[in-house]
Formats: sequence, C-alpha cells, structure tokens
Amino acid sequence: MDSPSKGKLRDIHRLPAAWNGLLHLIAGGFAFVCVFPFVFVVILSFTEENSLLVNGYRIFPEEWSLFAYSYIFRTGDQLLKSYGVTVFVTIVGTALTVLLTTLYAYSLSRKNFKFRGFFAFFAFFTMLFGGGLVPSYIVVAQLLELKDTVWALILPMTMSAFNILVLRTFFLTMIPDAIIESGKIDGASEFRALLSLVLPISLPGIATIALFSTLAYWNDWFNALLYIDSNKLVPLQALMMRLYNTMQFLIQNSTLLNSGQSRELIRSLPQETARMAMVVLATGPIVFAYPFFQRYFVQGLTIGSIKE
Amino acid sequence: MFNKNKKWVGLIAFVLVVSVVMAGCSGGNKENKSSNGGASQTPADSIESKQPESEGKKEEPVKLIWYTIGTPPTDLAKVNDEINKHILPKINATVEMKLLDWGEYDQKMKIIIGSGEAYDIAFTSSWANDYFGNSKKGAFYELDSLIEQYGQGVKSALNPAFLEGTKVNGHNYGLPTNKELPQQRVFRFNMEMVDKHGLDIANVKTIDDLEPLLKAFKEKEPGIAAIPGTPMEFLPFDYPITDLPFIGVAMDTQDYKLINTWDTPETMKYLKTMHKYYEAGYLPMDVATLKDAGDYFKTGKWLTDTADTQPYADNLWSGDAGYKVVSMPMHDPIAFNWSVAGALQAINAKSKHPEKAMEFLNLLYTDAELINLVDFGIENVHYKKTGDNTKDAIPDSGYGFPAFSVGNLMLTYLNTADPADKWDQFKKFNDSSKNSPLLGFQVDTTNITTELANLKNTKEATYKSLFSGTLDPETNIPKITQKLKDNGLDKVMAELQKQIDEWRAKQ
Repeated sequence: MDSPSKGKLRDIHRLPAAWNGLLHLIAGGFAFVCVFPFVFVVILSFTEENSLLVNGYRIFPEEWSLFAYSYIFRTGDQLLKSYGVTVFVTIVGTALTVLLTTLYAYSLSRKNFKFRGFFAFFAFFTMLFGGGLVPSYIVVAQLLELKDTVWALILPMTMSAFNILVLRTFFLTMIPDAIIESGKIDGASEFRALLSLVLPISLPGIATIALFSTLAYWNDWFNALLYIDSNKLVPLQALMMRLYNTMQFLIQNSTLLNSGQSRELIRSLPQETARMAMVVLATGPIVFAYPFFQRYFVQGLTIGSIKE
Repeated sequence: MFNKNKKWVGLIAFVLVVSVVMAGCSGGNKENKSSNGGASQTPADSIESKQPESEGKKEEPVKLIWYTIGTPPTDLAKVNDEINKHILPKINATVEMKLLDWGEYDQKMKIIIGSGEAYDIAFTSSWANDYFGNSKKGAFYELDSLIEQYGQGVKSALNPAFLEGTKVNGHNYGLPTNKELPQQRVFRFNMEMVDKHGLDIANVKTIDDLEPLLKAFKEKEPGIAAIPGTPMEFLPFDYPITDLPFIGVAMDTQDYKLINTWDTPETMKYLKTMHKYYEAGYLPMDVATLKDAGDYFKTGKWLTDTADTQPYADNLWSGDAGYKVVSMPMHDPIAFNWSVAGALQAINAKSKHPEKAMEFLNLLYTDAELINLVDFGIENVHYKKTGDNTKDAIPDSGYGFPAFSVGNLMLTYLNTADPADKWDQFKKFNDSSKNSPLLGFQVDTTNITTELANLKNTKEATYKSLFSGTLDPETNIPKITQKLKDNGLDKVMAELQKQIDEWRAKQ
C-alpha cells in the first residue's frame, strides 16, 4: 500500500519507516482495544454454557457451541418480532427526522425569514428546559393517545433541538447565499431552491443527521419502556433491557420474593451465552450499516462548492 | 417572490393550527366517550348511583384495567379472553390484563400513578410499587367498606394476620395473596458434598454450629469456598425500616425501646464468627463485592448458604439444582411487615369502578376455576390435568404467570410431583407464625428524609463488607457507629421512637 516505488525519490509527505511503523502500531493497538470487548462477546456467545460456568470467561473456551443461537431462534419469535419493530422504527423514524429537521433547519438558516428568531428560540428553549418525565408521558400517552402504538416509539424522537441547530449551522456555513440568490434570479421558488440547489450539496450534513437519528432509533429503549405494554411492539433494545433489568431485579430481590418462585423465574431466563448471542444479534446490523454512512462523514469535512 | 414566501408560511401555519386543534378535539371526544360509556362523571357519583343500577342488571359491562407484575407471556391475549368469558356472566365485567416485566414494573407504575393514568387494579408489595408509600400518598382506594360489602370471600380465605399486618393508618389498601405468611430463614446444604465427606448437619441451628463442618470441608475440598456468598444473617431484632437493619427493637421486647442493633453483643458475636470464617478461607476472598447470580447452585461447588423457606421448599430447591438440597431452620416462623406485604393487589384511588374491581378480586380468592386460569392458563393448551387437584405444565406452551402475586394460592392445582398435603402444610406454617413486635407499624418519613438517605448510604458502604466477615468488627464497629451518629442516627431514632410510642398508645 505505502510503497509501490522503492527506487523512486522519497515522497516528502512520507514518514520515516520507523515512525510510520510505530504510529501504525499505536493506532492498531487502540483499534484493537476498542474492538476486543465486542470480539470477546462474540466468542462468549459461541461458548458452551457449562464450560463458561465452570471456567469463567475465556478467550479460548474449552468447548465451542452453537446452542445459544439455536436457543434464541427456537424460542425466538419474540426476537424476530422485535427485530422487525426496530427496523421499521429506525427506517421510518430516520426518514421523518431527516425530513422535519431539514425543513426546520433550512427555514432557520434563511436570513429573510421573518420569524427566524422566534422559531430558533422555540427550538433552543427545549434544550434548556425539558418538561420532565411525567408531563411528557401525559402528552404522549394521554393527550395524543399514542400508548401501545408504534408512533409512540417514533414521534417523541423526531424533532431534536440539537439536530436542528447542527443542521442550521451547516446550512449557514456551507451553503453560500450566492447559490440561493442565483437560483432566485433564475425564477426558482424557495422550495425549488431547497430541492434543486441546496439539498444536493448538503448531503454530508443531512447524512450526519440521518446517522445520529438512526443510531438513536436503533438504540432507543426508554420510549418502549414508557409507552409499550404489548409484546408485539417491543423493539430489540427494549427487549434486552427487559431481560437485563429483570435479571438484576430477581438477583437483588431473590430473598424478598417467594424463594421457590424466584428460582423458577431465574431458571426461565436465557442463560449467559444466550444473552451474549442476543447482544451480537442486536449490534450486528448497525455495525454493518456504519461504514456506509461513515463515507459521508469524511466527505462532510472536505466538501466545498464555491470559491469566493 | 416575497409574497409567495408569505403564502407558504401562512399555509403551513394554518395546517399546523388545524391539526393541533383536531388532535385536541379528537382526544377530548374519546375521553368523554370512555367516561360516559362506563359510569357517570365523578367517582363519588358513581359509587352512589351504582348500587340501584346493579339491581336492574341491565348496565353495560365494565372493563377493568389490571396492571400486574410478570414477564408478558405470548398467549396472554388468549388467556385473557378465556378469563373474560368466565367472569362476564358472574360480575358483568371484563378485565384487560397488562403484565409489566419484573425489572420495569416499579418504574412504570410510578409514572402511571404520577400521571394519573386510568387503571383499576394494580399489583403492589413491599419490594415493587411500594405498597406502604403509595397507600399513604393516597394512590390506592381505601378498601375497608368494600371488603365488608364485596370481599367476604377474601376475608374467609386469609389468615387474619394478613389483613392486620397490611393496615396503613388503620385501613386496608390492598388484598394480600394467600400464600406463606411468615418468614423463616434456613441454612441450605448441598447434600452431595455433605454425603461425600460424611458431614453431620443435624444439629446446625446457628452460624457457630457450622464451624466443624466448614473446617472438615476446607481440608477435603480446598479449592471450593464452602459458603459461596454473604449469608443472610438472622439476628433477634425487628426493624421499622427494612433498609436500615441497625435501628431495631429486640424480638422479645417489652418496652419497644429502639436500639442500635449493630452495637449489641449479639451482633458483635455474629460478626466475629463471620470474620473468623472469612479469615479461615471458608468464603471467597472477594465475597464483599460478589454478586450472587446463583451460578454456584448450577455448578454444585458449594457446601452451605442461606435462604427463606416455605413448606416443601427443599423439594423445589433440589429439583432446581439437580441434586439433593436440605435445609435447617435458624428460627421459628415470624410474620414481619414486609413478609406479610409480599404481594398484594390494590385498587386505584381514582378508579371509576371500585366495586367491580373488588368483586373481581373477591373471585380470585373464591373461584378455583378462575384462579387456575389466571395462574396456569387454559387446560390442555398450557397444562394437563393429571388428577383431581394436580396438573403438569406443558413445556414452552406460551403462558406463564407468577402465581404468588395474586389471589388465593391454596385453590390452585398442585404439580404432580408436589406432596398432596402441600397447601395444608402452608396453612399450618401460617398458623404457627408468631407476630413480630412491630407488625402493623408503618414509619412516617417526612421529617427525616435527608437523614434516612445519609444513613442508607452509610449502610450501603459498610453492610456487605461487615456481614461477609471481610472487616474486623472489633475495630470497625465503633468507627461505623460514629459514622452513623454523624449522619443523624440519634435524630432518626428519636423520631421513630416517638412514632412507635404513639402507635402503641393507639392499640
């Protein structure tokens, strides 16, 4: 990769070989430290349950096993259902977030928009003062009657003041007024200017927002905790939180609960390896989605359209 | 062009306003409908107008919303339908069961109660959805007259100590499940290890009796910690606040004088023994920070631990472990506030149909068919009957419900493997229980909240290392006592003493 040309003159941008090697090592080491825990979880998910109990966590387990995965897929129509919910919520939620955030942020970025100050404050205010848990619950569950619907997972997260401000700043700094002005001279309406001129060169900014909201929707479990009672609509992460919380709860309260009962409950929970397998299954897709967005991040740092 | 802009702004604003208004209206309409559909406008009205109506027998069936604890099973809707078919002709009401998972229940119910969401019945207890706190706050319906009127079945099913012990300021706000009433702590033994090394457990009653066994075990199985986690102590005290196990009265108290129980000879003796055991290596080195997930139970690498028992618990434990587990009791059964309030069902203070809710709850104590349906699901789908009163669960059938959380456990089918006299033994166990000195006393924490929080922090910081034997009690108890005093121990004790004296004067 780095030297197709041994005989040629040394590139002045190149580091001395020793430095290059050292920096690669440091970067590689750091990457390894970041990736290792996840790799470890993957290994654990393929470990045989009993050897895990006897030996504890090991990088090279005594015995490998696919049991955890077969366990999940055997009892797992809930897992598949949750997968479906999460995918749906993530796609629809991201689309809605991008649409609404772009429209809002673009309006705020236009200097001739009369209520610009008001709407900027309107969004910004929610960053400073939140209503709190119970009031927002009352709004979503009782006023809008979204409880136990898929919209309870989507709507509360569509508009985030942070996203709006990020995108507004992006529009303000990256989109020169000259572009819009030139469009207007050619007779474009505001919408036309947004669609044909601004959006094509704003892809990096929008992709960033899309990535933020994809991650947020994919990882969200709290809205499900609040608003979802029925099994049909529990997203993946909420399912895991349920398992985790329930386990914590039973362990902590095992003496208070009727002892025979709590034992039975602990027994009915998935075993250690199965939990690891769930983590792998839940993180997998987003790990693979990330590189596709990541391209835009890099672009976002380098893009420019007009020289002034 | 500017005009065009303005038009757009106007249009969007208009659409927004219209949609907000419409949302508001539709929400309002639905609310009106639901409140008109069931009963009249205010709860007070409904109580008065209800009785004459029910004689006419032509009222619309009421739908009760019932939040209860447990992992929501796949077939919940199916079983819920069966339940409704069963109860509709009896009480002209249906229920909508909403099971909330164990770890979520407490948090969700806090929000549901806090936001004033409509529900009728909810699970409550001393360990989730705080029964005593909610009752004092007025979140639950006061049941005294309802029990008299609609709850005779409940009354006759329950040991009187249940309703007595769950009174808050002299009133009942919840109906306890009819299950084991007292607490009895036991030492459990892994019989495989006991038999293998020829140990004698017959005389074990206190922690000191364990010593010869532990010593012999250590010699023969040096690689295994005989006591795999911090054992739960049993010291002869009763605590007004379970979270603070150092403010208490002696179990045989006459004058109900509060003492710092960590500063007593009994505790010191116990802690010294634990410290000796820890030093001798009978417990794991890291026992104070260990979280017991029950793994040792599966692997069988242990000799003894502690648990709270119920009749035939040894069978349950053995079945679960896959080897024989035998227990030896530390004391006679005692009914504590928290053991009595282990599982209750309460009615929402704002419920529109408290009488219907009570009638439904009453059925759960008297109607064997109903309680078995709720606990085990549908016959031949979720379980198979193997005798008049016995059943076997069908594995992976899609229904599971924590039977101990509701109704009358004594009416439920036994497992085929259970001894036939299981419920008789439960009754005997309940009848044999003695009341703890503070049974029925509830603390009012309003004046001492900061001190309680500080004391709780001190407890969290010291309890585990002290009671696992990690710390030497002789040097540490004085230090900890001083720390407790610095954090307001005396003030809390004075306040609690005042409340206890007042409570006793009223009795």
